[in-house]
Amino acid sequence: MGEAIVITSGKGGVGKTTTSANLGTALALQGKKVCLIDTDIGLRNLDVILGLENRIIYDLVDVIEGRCKVQQALVKDKRFENGLFLLPAAQTTDKNAINPEQMKVLVTELKRDYDYILIDCPAGIEQGYKNAVAGADRAIVVTTPEISAVRDADRIIGLLEQEDIEPPKLIINRIRRHLAATGEALDVNDITSHLSIDLLGIVLDDENVISSSNKGEPIVMDPSNPAAMGYRNIARRILGESVPLMSLDTGKLGFFGKLKSKLFK
Amino acid sequence: MTQMAKQQYVTIKGTKDGLVLRLDDKCAYSDMIAELHRKVGEDRLEGIAEVQVQTGNRYCNEEELKEIMNAIHASPNLRVSKIQSDVITMEECNRKILENQSETYVGIIRSGQVVKAKGDLVVVGDVNPNGRVEAAGNIFVLGRLKGIAHAGANGNTQAVIAASRLEATHLLIADKIEIMTDELTILSEHPEMECAYIHSNGFIAIDRLQELRILRPGLSSFKGGS
Repeated sequence: MGEAIVITSGKGGVGKTTTSANLGTALALQGKKVCLIDTDIGLRNLDVILGLENRIIYDLVDVIEGRCKVQQALVKDKRFENGLFLLPAAQTTDKNAINPEQMKVLVTELKRDYDYILIDCPAGIEQGYKNAVAGADRAIVVTTPEISAVRDADRIIGLLEQEDIEPPKLIINRIRRHLAATGEALDVNDITSHLSIDLLGIVLDDENVISSSNKGEPIVMDPSNPAAMGYRNIARRILGESVPLMSLDTGKLGFFGKLKSKLFK
Repeated sequence: MTQMAKQQYVTIKGTKDGLVLRLDDKCAYSDMIAELHRKVGEDRLEGIAEVQVQTGNRYCNEEELKEIMNAIHASPNLRVSKIQSDVITMEECNRKILENQSETYVGIIRSGQVVKAKGDLVVVGDVNPNGRVEAAGNIFVLGRLKGIAHAGANGNTQAVIAASRLEATHLLIADKIEIMTDELTILSEHPEMECAYIHSNGFIAIDRLQELRILRPGLSSFKGGS
């Protein structure tokens, strides 16, 4: 019996879909059997980021409405041996095409065959959000170090706490080291104390995330990338390992640091 | 002589706090008021005396209380300082219970959430921006108040809002509203527990929590101690 995790944020553009794709990939790399569900009906993206766009035949709404079986709609990622599957969203209709009860039935069915079901939630708190949360056992809230994203995360956490699921966990995405260091952006401690939920991990901002998404290869495939390390650490924490939080230090020494290291060699 | 033998419906006693006028609660109201008129008329006092009226177990409505007051004030020497009754109506009682009770909310009031209380409200946790707490009585936040708080929502201007960290965006007491600006949170630089109340100038003011015992001495419901 697998576990269903919804990835949500309230605000759009904070990296829900990128996080879903990368965590799904990272869990698959760890040898788990993962199914990703894109619930952003009408504005689907997860297939593009995974590079599976042109292999979609059936979609989520087809499954819900009984036009095909779940297994027929699932798109297998060939980079993994039976490890990663995607249930894409429909593009020709909207969020009202399905309801929470139907999602619950679907997720329960998928949990029998997969270790992890990652549900990519659309932005907002309306029907799409309600559908996405319906079948989930756990929730991950993604935010960025911006006040608007943190406010929306607060709202969504409030809604999640009323659901019958485990307390949500937080991922802070797109942390820019230099802004955090100068105090121009909210730092990790500010955000976690404001939202008062457990921090699951942090992901550094990296230009390669965009280019790799454009190529349809999740960044987590590149183990040397700093953002990929963040996602890999989060995946390991989901699996129950205790991994220390990544340090935000740039690793470069300033002038005095260099001087000191030279003098006291 | 026959009158003296009759049971007295109105008894006047002198105590160290002044005169106490005890009105019998078993007899008919009309008999009692008639005797009150007579007794008050025959008093031979000099100067002005304060009178405490005790109505015992008789429930008097507002009109009856007014009549009693008028009867006593017919004498130029007597002034009613207070009227004590041993009974109140169920309605009044229930209202008082609701107003005096304190409801406790343990948790974080997040953006978009509203918590309301009929009496006082104690929040153990934070009130985040765009979260709202509302109470007919006072609001106490053991945590950071960063959202909106409305105390005295039914019009009680004596209500206060106190918080470990008063960083609210909006403070409302009764029908007054204060949009928090940086000038108002003068103390925010060296954080201290603060409270908001309606100042005698009619505006919401903020002061140290320790000043509350002077600003609102009636707030304490604690009985006893030494």
